[in-house]
Amino acid sequence: MNDQIIWIVLKRLRVPFLVIILTFTVSIIGLVLIPGVDDAGNVYHLGFFDAFYFVSYTATTIGFGETPYVFNYEQRIWVSAIIYITVIGWFYAIGSIVSLIQDEGLKKAINRNAFRRQVVSLKEPFLIILGYNSVTKSIIERINGQNYRIVVLDKDEKKIDELMMQNFYPHVPAFVGEATSQQMLTIAGIHQKNCKSIISLFENDTTNSKIATICKFINKKIDIVIKASSKQHLDHFKSLDIKHVQDPFDVISKRMFYSITAPHIWLLEMWMYGHVLKLRKRDMLPRGRYIICGYGRMGHSIENGLKEAGIEYTLYDIKSSAYESRKKTTIFGDEEDTQKLMDLGIEDASCIIAATKDDLLNLTILNKAKKLNPKIVTVARENSLDDLNIFKAAKINRIYILEQILADITYNHLSYPLSEIFIEESRKKDEEWAKVIVDMLNEVTGMNPTYYEKTLTSENAYALGLRLLKGEQITLAQLRRSRENNDELLNLVYLLLKRDKKVYLMPESDMCLELGDELLIVADDETYDDFEYIVNNIYELEYVLEK
Amino acid sequence: MNMHKIVSGFFFIMAMTLNFGFFYGNHTVLAEHSSYELFAAIVVNLIATVLKLGDKTQLGSVLLATSLVAVIQLIASATVWTFAAYASHDFSVEAVAAIVSLSGGALLANIVSVILFMGDTLKSKR
Repeated sequence: MNDQIIWIVLKRLRVPFLVIILTFTVSIIGLVLIPGVDDAGNVYHLGFFDAFYFVSYTATTIGFGETPYVFNYEQRIWVSAIIYITVIGWFYAIGSIVSLIQDEGLKKAINRNAFRRQVVSLKEPFLIILGYNSVTKSIIERINGQNYRIVVLDKDEKKIDELMMQNFYPHVPAFVGEATSQQMLTIAGIHQKNCKSIISLFENDTTNSKIATICKFINKKIDIVIKASSKQHLDHFKSLDIKHVQDPFDVISKRMFYSITAPHIWLLEMWMYGHVLKLRKRDMLPRGRYIICGYGRMGHSIENGLKEAGIEYTLYDIKSSAYESRKKTTIFGDEEDTQKLMDLGIEDASCIIAATKDDLLNLTILNKAKKLNPKIVTVARENSLDDLNIFKAAKINRIYILEQILADITYNHLSYPLSEIFIEESRKKDEEWAKVIVDMLNEVTGMNPTYYEKTLTSENAYALGLRLLKGEQITLAQLRRSRENNDELLNLVYLLLKRDKKVYLMPESDMCLELGDELLIVADDETYDDFEYIVNNIYELEYVLEK
Repeated sequence: MNMHKIVSGFFFIMAMTLNFGFFYGNHTVLAEHSSYELFAAIVVNLIATVLKLGDKTQLGSVLLATSLVAVIQLIASATVWTFAAYASHDFSVEAVAAIVSLSGGALLANIVSVILFMGDTLKSKR
């Protein structure tokens, strides 16, 4: 790669160099051959050095004057000719070099080299993100420099410029390139050992499946995080043996189902994504008749959720584009629309969901619905993150932002893989179990706790690792003791323990630890710090285990 | 017939022959070595070097290297000459020997270059 640039430059400089050599040679030979007259009137010939010196400063327009003696007329006639030849030749050569420096192709090659070098020099594990948009931006902001470094490819130069303007720290190498091109993926480092995964969350499912297929062929071991929103593509990805398929519509459908049938399971899931661990009244969805406005992919997934939950619903197939072309506006609520809502039974419905692709349309539908039935619970789909404030101001009970969901699930998948497992496991349990867990978490760790993930290895649990290697039996309960007073317990909860492929939800406190165990721990910052001290510091651990 | 081969072959061989012409003669007597010939050798060697630029094959790179050696040696030879003529005003035996033997080194590089060039030509099937 590096050589390529040198070759491009050298090849382009051939002609300018030849021009300079030829013009200089002709001029020098002429000056050497033409006899001159020195101060004393003797005939002399310029030496090659004199001639070269004179031509050099003439051609470059420096012009020191006639040396070593004043020229005679024969010499001046020749010099007036060579001035034009050499100066033109010189400027031609300089011009070629300057235009070469500004050459787009060369610039691209240089940029590509710089990008390649940056990627190769990444020593930490990194992710390749394909396409830069608001979803991937929010992922980069959260992940960059935390656990992973990030490399971005986007075919749009403007997007890359935008990313560069963000000035992420640590630096995010980015380059303009087609994500479906094998060559670009190779340059982005897909072969590298520390490349952990590829994230492809394009709107278009076909693009995603193309990328998945290519990536799987180039690097079998790589972890691919991909978005799919149709059954057909989902199956295709499964056949490719891709485990992490992100389907925001499926997430919405499941959330809908659990939020109606088992709100505490829903709460646990939402808590994993940053919701407070408390069921507020406005979070509750009623059991009554639902109205779904908009019957696209989102409408379908909501319908599935409702169907599973056994909820009665009415569909209103409204398409934003058709509505706009018919009424020349996306503000819902003229007489015809009001009548339509009445026909759908808005007055005795308990919840209305606006799931069209147009934000303004969604807002106005819900607005109108609230006017007709003040008690109705409103759910909106929000398409672009820019209008978030308007939606909040409109006092809508629940907002589904596809982009945000996609960013959140991808982030959790990368940074908190155990949280994903926990959500899956908790869904197998029932509402009662979830309620007990929620109450217990709040009681033990105080209101609104956070969670941490810890893998027990000799590196990041040094003291514990030493003891485990010696074959000592240490239980979860022993590690829970406070380092201030080993009679007391730390306010933390082991939510989940993963050993190889086996998952223990709410592990027993007399369970013995092994190296390589992964723990999902719920605690507040301070308590978790204590825990880190205990597993890493041999004296702290000694004290804790004393009893 | 390959025009590119004719032009490059011409300059490569000319670079060697001119170099030899300058080198040939008693290496302590400057009168047996023409300054015009040295100038011609430098120019033709420069042209040969430029013609070898931008060939990214293995052979092209080695050819470029030999040419660079030849050019540097010849320019060194001319520099010694200039220094002896204008700065120290003394063509000692040492200076003359240096001028000639530097060009002798360049001649070796040129011979290597021509051998490589011929080998490549013979190898090609057309």
